[in-house]
Amino acid sequence: MKLLAISAFALLAVSVSAQAPAPLAAATGNAQRGKAVFETTLRCFACHGYDGQTGSPRLVPMARAEDIFLAYVRKPATPGMPSFAAVPEQQLRDVYAYIRSIPQAAPAPDSVPLIKGILDRRAKAN
Amino acid sequence: MADSIDRRDFFKGAALGAAGLVVTTEKTADAAAIPAPSPVTLPTSADAHDLAYAQAQSAATAPVRAVTTPGRPASDFMVDVIKKIGFEYAAVNPGSTFQGLHESLINYGKNTAPELLTCLHEEAAVAMAHGYAKAAGKPMLVAVHGTVGLLHSSMALFQAWADRVPVVLIVGHHRNPSGVINRPHSAQDMGLLVRSFVKFDDEATNLERFADAAMRAYKIAMTPPMGPVVLTVSAELQESMVTNEPRIPELVLPAPPQGEAAAVREAARLLVDAESPLIQIAKLGRTPKAWDLLIELAGTLQAPVDTMGYSSWQKFPSWHPLYGTGGRGYTPDVTLGLEVTDMSAQARAARANNRKTISISAEHLFQGSNIHDYGRYADVDLAIAADAEATLPSLIEEVRRQITPARKSAIEARGQRVAAAHKQAQMDGIREARHGWDASPVSVPRLIAELGDQIAKDDWAIVSGHQFTGDWQRRLLNHDKPYRYNGDCGGFGIGYDTPASVGGALAHKKNGRLSVAIVGDGDLNFSPGVLWTAAHHRIPLLFVVHNNRAYHAEVMIIQRMCGVRGRGNENAHIGNVIADPDPNYAQLAKAYGMYSEGPIEHPKDLAGAYQRALAKVRAGEPALIDVVSQPR
Repeated sequence: MKLLAISAFALLAVSVSAQAPAPLAAATGNAQRGKAVFETTLRCFACHGYDGQTGSPRLVPMARAEDIFLAYVRKPATPGMPSFAAVPEQQLRDVYAYIRSIPQAAPAPDSVPLIKGILDRRAKAN
Repeated sequence: MADSIDRRDFFKGAALGAAGLVVTTEKTADAAAIPAPSPVTLPTSADAHDLAYAQAQSAATAPVRAVTTPGRPASDFMVDVIKKIGFEYAAVNPGSTFQGLHESLINYGKNTAPELLTCLHEEAAVAMAHGYAKAAGKPMLVAVHGTVGLLHSSMALFQAWADRVPVVLIVGHHRNPSGVINRPHSAQDMGLLVRSFVKFDDEATNLERFADAAMRAYKIAMTPPMGPVVLTVSAELQESMVTNEPRIPELVLPAPPQGEAAAVREAARLLVDAESPLIQIAKLGRTPKAWDLLIELAGTLQAPVDTMGYSSWQKFPSWHPLYGTGGRGYTPDVTLGLEVTDMSAQARAARANNRKTISISAEHLFQGSNIHDYGRYADVDLAIAADAEATLPSLIEEVRRQITPARKSAIEARGQRVAAAHKQAQMDGIREARHGWDASPVSVPRLIAELGDQIAKDDWAIVSGHQFTGDWQRRLLNHDKPYRYNGDCGGFGIGYDTPASVGGALAHKKNGRLSVAIVGDGDLNFSPGVLWTAAHHRIPLLFVVHNNRAYHAEVMIIQRMCGVRGRGNENAHIGNVIADPDPNYAQLAKAYGMYSEGPIEHPKDLAGAYQRALAKVRAGEPALIDVVSQPR
């Protein structure tokens, strides 16, 4: 039986992007290697989307500093997030570098005609 | 192996055998002109099928002769009963145990009302009936073949049961089976196979009982809480001759029960006095009237309406100012559940916080089930055993009567606050679609927004569920009519969306509505043959395959388990992904005779593909677009 779990996972989400933005130091890892780890070894894409934008929670814009990110993924605070305590540190730093390499800003809603059209129709609905 | 004979070949063989059987006992006008086959002696008609198989295997080429059986076949009478009930369609996957009824439906009944729909799997047949019933407001007939057909049907019957949707299924078998094939197709107690998740089952042993049982089955299926029913009819009865034709009873559906007046007054009092009431709905909306009544009740109370996710039919407008849970900080002091199958979670929360809960539901009349879909005991403050839709008029009237001028101003102020909070939340929800907008594979909101743009000027209906696209459909498309969304599967099992969408689209066809379905690749693979059914019967419907190349919910679950056990995610794809090779669903659709495009990986290619496919759908054909999508 293929049971639904999406809503449960939504509840398990950790809102990285909700944290207060702060200037972050440059990532130390290798983004290219990190992309491979993201997609094949750790398979982060499964919950967060291939570019960290479409899943829940979104990984971009990344608000955590590198060491805080490492500490979090080794011992996540929410039950839905697997622990990556056993993953070599360099792999985690590479993944962090990959996430930081992804364009951090989504387009403004009004700059996307389809979304703007939906917003306009919703605004007029009541 | 003899028993592994292809069913369609078997059916053809059975026809040959039946003809051969009759030849030994009947004389026809043209008998002299046709060389007589070798005489056969069959102790019972049931052996005809085994003989037919043997004849087919030995490449028997004796011509089939036209033979007229004197008298009125009993299955013709059964068709009269079926027509009197008023079925528009009968979904079938053929089989010899209902060959008598099948023949009567297509010849005596002229294949109209009901018109047969050829299905390639019984699960698809029942799921089609499930989707059809929710869109049409009445059941479709399904006919299946013996134990094998009923067992194939069982998953879809379970879904209809869990979704409280009426389906009327006839299953054939042999009362006195003989032969290696007929015996396993027959049962001492056929209904037992599915009794855990049907409302009623019966076996008619004569025509009078058939007429009674058919009327009763339909009535029970349609009485809230609705559900699937099964009627077993033996091949012997179908193929017998009418000797004393019984009267066909009138079909009279009972008026659904309304809430008791004093209880309704008390419910109204609680709701009017509440500072922050909340209305929750699930299986509300068996007719379109419920849509208007709920808008009226919510508006009178200025109470938010929570449609409660995937198990709900979601019969409330998605861009309505009262659609939601009241906004941040809105803590309901009175929660009204309307046909909420499981009130236990709300009731427990209310008990823990000294709040009130009211449940109006036909569920209180009927909670026997082997399935845990009714949840824990609902420890509510006020339970009204009644059909919520039938009770809404009196509840609205009572609420209006009890609202004082002072309460009216408080209620209006609440409504303004709730509407403002909902509007903000809904606008923010739409803005979320921008994340991953240009991503490849395509994001789910982009997939839906592009589709919504193309159908904005149509009278559209989404005939699939939305459990694997989240709430994006309701965020991005204004569900402003009761038929915009047809609900989900009920039992949270894969394999419903694709066939149920075909049934829903069939119901919408006569109203000229444009049906669209967003189905997962996992779902499509359970009953892909229904694509052929849609093409064959010219059922206009756009399938959009949300193709994330995996049972993705399970991917996440297994990855989490890998993490919990500290064993890494490298193997988490094993047993979960549908890739390597990547199935090509556009080619699959083409194989079934359907227009298709894909796989589409870049969002810039969506609009054109939608336009071309929708042109086919508007012209009366089904079409399919395979969209390679982000995991979630």
